[in-house]
Amino acid sequence: MDPTTIMAVVCSVIVFAGWLVLPHSPSAVKPAVLVSEERQPVRVSA
Amino acid sequence: MKIDSGDTAWVLASAALVMLMTPALGFFYGGLVRRKNVLSTIMHSFFILCLISVQWVLWGYSLAFGPDKFHIIGGLEWVGLNHVGLTPNADYAPTIPHQAYMVFQMMFAVITPALISGAFAERQRFKAFVLFSLLWATFVYDPIAHWVWGAGGWLHNLGALDFAGGTVVHISSGVSALVAALVLGRRIGFGQGKFEPHDATMTVLGACLLWFGWFGFNAGSAVAAGGLATSAFVVTNTATAMAALTWMTVSWWHKRQPSVLGAAAGAVAGLVAITPASGFVNVMGAIVIGFGAGVACYAAIQLRERIRVDDALDVWAVHGIGGTWGALATGLFATVAINAGAANGLFYGNPKQALIQMVAIGASWGWSIIGTFAILKFVNLFVPLRVQEDEEAVGLDLSQHGEPAYASVSAL
Repeated sequence: MDPTTIMAVVCSVIVFAGWLVLPHSPSAVKPAVLVSEERQPVRVSA
Repeated sequence: MKIDSGDTAWVLASAALVMLMTPALGFFYGGLVRRKNVLSTIMHSFFILCLISVQWVLWGYSLAFGPDKFHIIGGLEWVGLNHVGLTPNADYAPTIPHQAYMVFQMMFAVITPALISGAFAERQRFKAFVLFSLLWATFVYDPIAHWVWGAGGWLHNLGALDFAGGTVVHISSGVSALVAALVLGRRIGFGQGKFEPHDATMTVLGACLLWFGWFGFNAGSAVAAGGLATSAFVVTNTATAMAALTWMTVSWWHKRQPSVLGAAAGAVAGLVAITPASGFVNVMGAIVIGFGAGVACYAAIQLRERIRVDDALDVWAVHGIGGTWGALATGLFATVAINAGAANGLFYGNPKQALIQMVAIGASWGWSIIGTFAILKFVNLFVPLRVQEDEEAVGLDLSQHGEPAYASVSAL
């Protein structure tokens, strides 16, 4: 195999094998603090 | 020279595909901004499509591809498309009408300044944007396009390889975006919380349309319907997919979740990186390039966040760094087995090509920094670059265009 093919195989293995060790459910996620100056919807009755 | 109907059909279809990329970019960017700025962000891309379409036929094409002057710029002989007719031009595309090549290149000139708009999103005054875009296309894009692609351009003569625009399109726009972000300064509220994308679905759709259009960008750059176009198509798809997988994996490892927007951004990074190499590398090279793009561009965003530069939509990280990696990788993985008219790269026995690519990268970075800084300072003499604070607070859709993107907001 030429060097390019070897590198391609190594890159693919890193990515594909990486999925085996990655978390399969998210850890506690903090809600993002939004920066917004937009007004919030209001209920209007007739 | 005889016109080939197949080649002509492919190049015209590719021009249409590349044209679609600019509104697609508008949606990609539009989804990433807050809802009060979505129209203005989409307008940046739509307006540039119109602006550069006219600039290109008036003088842009002549400056970029016209008869060479001192190896740095095209002459004015082709202003107004004078001498650019339906007869093929042997220097650029011997089997299609010269105007077909011109309009294909026009779409590249259109999308490049549109890419920069992501850096100053949500805060640039529209009038300043108009002036900047016109000047930037003329004094930054057109010269670099001539250096690399123009007959007689100095990087072209040096042997720099750039199949579809790694240096011309992506380094120039990405580096200019960084300069623009630094000159304009940060948005109000930057660093106090996260600016959440207002519509991630719009961004993913934009990325998909970009991917689709990019087949014209890269495979169309063969300017012929044949084997080279097919190879460029295949490696484009391969690198894009690999970059998306890599970015998603890296962000999954780093942020503990597989990001949807990350996958979309990774795909764009892969598209960017394979662009200069698409006519010179094989599929194995494309996998390595895609992998490198996913890692390098993701790392660049982390760096950009750490140094607190408000390149709003990460144009520098994706296009500047992705384009730089792609241009360098071309000098590593190019092989004459794919393109007999080009050169081998470092891994195929020609280390000199990597050095030539570095020269091209350095030249593109240098001129983009100098040109963009000068143009921004010049425009600022006549029109303030930024909107006022209250205009930024109310959003550019209303303050610059007088139109809300969504009726529900205006009704409140």
